[in-house]
Amino acid sequence: MSLRASSLRLASLVVLVAGILSGVFAGGAHAGGVLRVLAWPGYADADVVRSFERKSGARVELTVIDSDESLWQKVSANGGGDFDVMAVNTAELQRYIAAGLVQPVDPARIPGTRRQLPRFRKLAEIPGLVHVRNGRPAAYAIPYTYSTMGLIYDRRQFPEAPASISALWDPRHRGRVLAYSGGAHSFSLAAQALGLSSPFRLQEAQWGRAVDKLIALRRNVLGFYTRPEESVQLFLRHGVALMFANYGLQQLHMLRAAGADVGYVLPREGALAWLDCWAIVRGARDTDLVHAWIDHLLGDTASSLLVQRQGLANTLVESGTGGPDDRIAWLAAVEDTSRRERLWARIHSGDRATRVMAP
Amino acid sequence: MRMGIAVRLGLALALVGVLAAGLTGYYGYAESRAMLLAAAEARLLTSTRVLVRQLAIGLDNTARDVRLVAEHPQAARLLRRADPILQVTSERNVALLFQRMLETHPEYFQMRLIDVADHGLERVRVDRDDSGVVRIEGDELQEKGHYPYVFETLRLPSGTVFVSRAEINHEVGAHAGQGKPSLQVAAPVRETPDGPVLGLVVINVDLNGLFAQLAADLPPGLQLYLTNGAGDFLIHPDPRLAFAFDRGQRARVQDPFPATEALLADRAGQAAQLVTTSRPVGQAAVVAAFVRQHFATLHSEDDFILGLSQPLAEVVEQSDRLGGATLRIVLGFSALAVLLAILLARALTRPLNQIVQAVRGFAPGAAGQRLPSRRQDEIGVLARSIEDMQQQIHAQFDSLEEKQRALDRLASHDSLTGLPNRRLFLDRLDQALAHARRNNGHLALLFIDLDNFKTINDSLGHAAGDAMLCAAAVRLQQLVRASDTVARLGGDEFIILLDGADDSEAIAHVAGKALDALAQPVMHNGATLRSGGSIGVSRYPYDATGATELIAMADKAMYRAKSGGRQRACFAEPL
Repeated sequence: MSLRASSLRLASLVVLVAGILSGVFAGGAHAGGVLRVLAWPGYADADVVRSFERKSGARVELTVIDSDESLWQKVSANGGGDFDVMAVNTAELQRYIAAGLVQPVDPARIPGTRRQLPRFRKLAEIPGLVHVRNGRPAAYAIPYTYSTMGLIYDRRQFPEAPASISALWDPRHRGRVLAYSGGAHSFSLAAQALGLSSPFRLQEAQWGRAVDKLIALRRNVLGFYTRPEESVQLFLRHGVALMFANYGLQQLHMLRAAGADVGYVLPREGALAWLDCWAIVRGARDTDLVHAWIDHLLGDTASSLLVQRQGLANTLVESGTGGPDDRIAWLAAVEDTSRRERLWARIHSGDRATRVMAP
Repeated sequence: MRMGIAVRLGLALALVGVLAAGLTGYYGYAESRAMLLAAAEARLLTSTRVLVRQLAIGLDNTARDVRLVAEHPQAARLLRRADPILQVTSERNVALLFQRMLETHPEYFQMRLIDVADHGLERVRVDRDDSGVVRIEGDELQEKGHYPYVFETLRLPSGTVFVSRAEINHEVGAHAGQGKPSLQVAAPVRETPDGPVLGLVVINVDLNGLFAQLAADLPPGLQLYLTNGAGDFLIHPDPRLAFAFDRGQRARVQDPFPATEALLADRAGQAAQLVTTSRPVGQAAVVAAFVRQHFATLHSEDDFILGLSQPLAEVVEQSDRLGGATLRIVLGFSALAVLLAILLARALTRPLNQIVQAVRGFAPGAAGQRLPSRRQDEIGVLARSIEDMQQQIHAQFDSLEEKQRALDRLASHDSLTGLPNRRLFLDRLDQALAHARRNNGHLALLFIDLDNFKTINDSLGHAAGDAMLCAAAVRLQQLVRASDTVARLGGDEFIILLDGADDSEAIAHVAGKALDALAQPVMHNGATLRSGGSIGVSRYPYDATGATELIAMADKAMYRAKSGGRQRACFAEPL
């Protein structure tokens, strides 16, 4: 046995003992510590929090937020000093990174990430999660839950599930299509339908085409909805064939509960989807504790509660509405929110192309 | 503490009085308050119903306006594009009509004729803006086919009118109506009632303007609420709570007024209504009336629930005033009751006390206290009865005393002669002896025995003997001083106690007079009875110091006198 081999073994023994010790004394490792969490309703239920407190010995201060804006206000209020960890979607995350309010997260310190579905492990492929910092790529968040915006179709009117979002424009379904009234998503949808490479980043030359596409959509739909219950009423009342499901599975469940024979499909262009991740706030006091928290929520209990209680999808198992090969287009910050909203308001109001594009 | 009947009676009477006044006052107040509340609630409900009625009338009028244009032949002709030459004229005419209507109806934001073709393109459109009423033309006209008020109305049979749910109008270019709560009232346009639908006429109604008109006549203090069928506030005194759903929030009527759940659940209900008292968080309690309005004649997307509320304090203000007045009356009457109770108790107990005093002070022979016997009531009867009883007692005492005196006399005097008998004499002798011993006094006893008495008695009868004895008694008594005692000891024996007698001569003198008196003849039934006496004298303290010895000494001396020849007196001889 060479000296080198023996020292290697010694080193691994030390690591092993340290690991056992940290396991045995995990309860005391963070005893007395406080973890300040910002999360959305249902992300960290009381039982989940309690089991983490038992395991870590730390106390959790959970603050529940209900809008992107209140999240931003709370985190930015004290330069990120008031919280340790927060749940934020990939698009919103960008302004926190730009403002320096979050710090990189180390997936290697979160064993639970190894049990995530492959597409959630490839952080670099999810737009906005990995940024170059000090010359090296750094991940800024760990995916936790998501919701896709697929197509809901009436099985009696579609012998086969529609494969593409272009079905929304199909004149055969004219007056029996429902779409969502919202500027950001509508332009992304139009860009996808046009086959543009980056649905969230329209080039100047592409705006006119997108507007035309949306006017065409307007002329093909029965109407636009904003609230899920509104969409269900219209769907049932007017024998709608196809709907862009902005609220995803929530709408599917509502329609099925109302007795509709409907299916859900992720189109081949890629379903728009929001992805909420855990990110570490800049002022986090104990990053070990934060990593332990994220690891805890990637456990089976917390993740399966997302599905059971909230009807959301977790990152451990497929949601059952699309296989692993389905393309998902993670929402990213769009190039100009207010321009999209302004143009969409005109389109929705019924203006024709020339007037929509007027300054 | 012992409570007298006056205190107890007074307390009981006062209690009854206060209780009666209090209970009457309380129930009067409670009843009146309930009536006032009910009346206020009824008023509130009536006001709400009137408002709902006005809303229905207002919407009916709008519906009539819409139908008037929709069923006008010119609208159908215009949409059919029958005559391209007249097209422009027709559009101008319809626009003029719309303008007139907007000018006369300040609650209308917008009126439009929409084509079923060209994706619901607006053909004629008149908007209200800051400067007045303007016609919108050219490429400002928009395609509206995807709006519910268009695709829903196009499905309707002719003659029916669609009323949209109330929403914030987000349609760009809607001028004055943009961003405002509005309601679309629309009717389909057909050439013939059974013909294909050609388009529709829509009026955008300013919801706030409509209600500002409706609520203009409401009394101050009332607050107006309007919600949709799901309870979302459309009009609320706090504007931040109106149309919260449009901002992704929720502000619903069932939160501050939980009772309205019943109204919300009643989807098919025709103008269901309720009155509720509620205390919205952070506010004073209010009474509120809600009426759900379902527009039966209109094809309405949603119902309205209209409500009016009034602070409970205002509603019960009147009853609070009433409560104050009632309280004062109750206190006044209670004080009066207490006063009356005191007076009554005193009036009742004064004669009773008088009677008690009279009975306590009653003594036989005493004059006694005055009784309230002149009263005509039960107390008078009682007093008179007591008076009668007192008199009876007085009379019985008198006769009892009389008898007592007679008995006493019988026990101490001789019934024949009336002289003290032996018992009384011994009493007096004891007293005299006791007195003499204390004062070194003297006394003497004269023991007298009548001579020949037995002979007279036997020969002339007892009556003669008795006469003899009586005469002797009278004569002996006349001889002595009042302080001396003459007693009959029995048979023909008399004895005289001479108190203070010491001088033998004086005693002998008295004895001599006694012998003389006895020697005087006595007349009886015409017969002259002659007797005489023998007297024995004993003296204290010379002869004896005890009564018995003294008497025995006198007796013995008397025998000596008798044996010495009678009609003489002998002094006891020392032993």
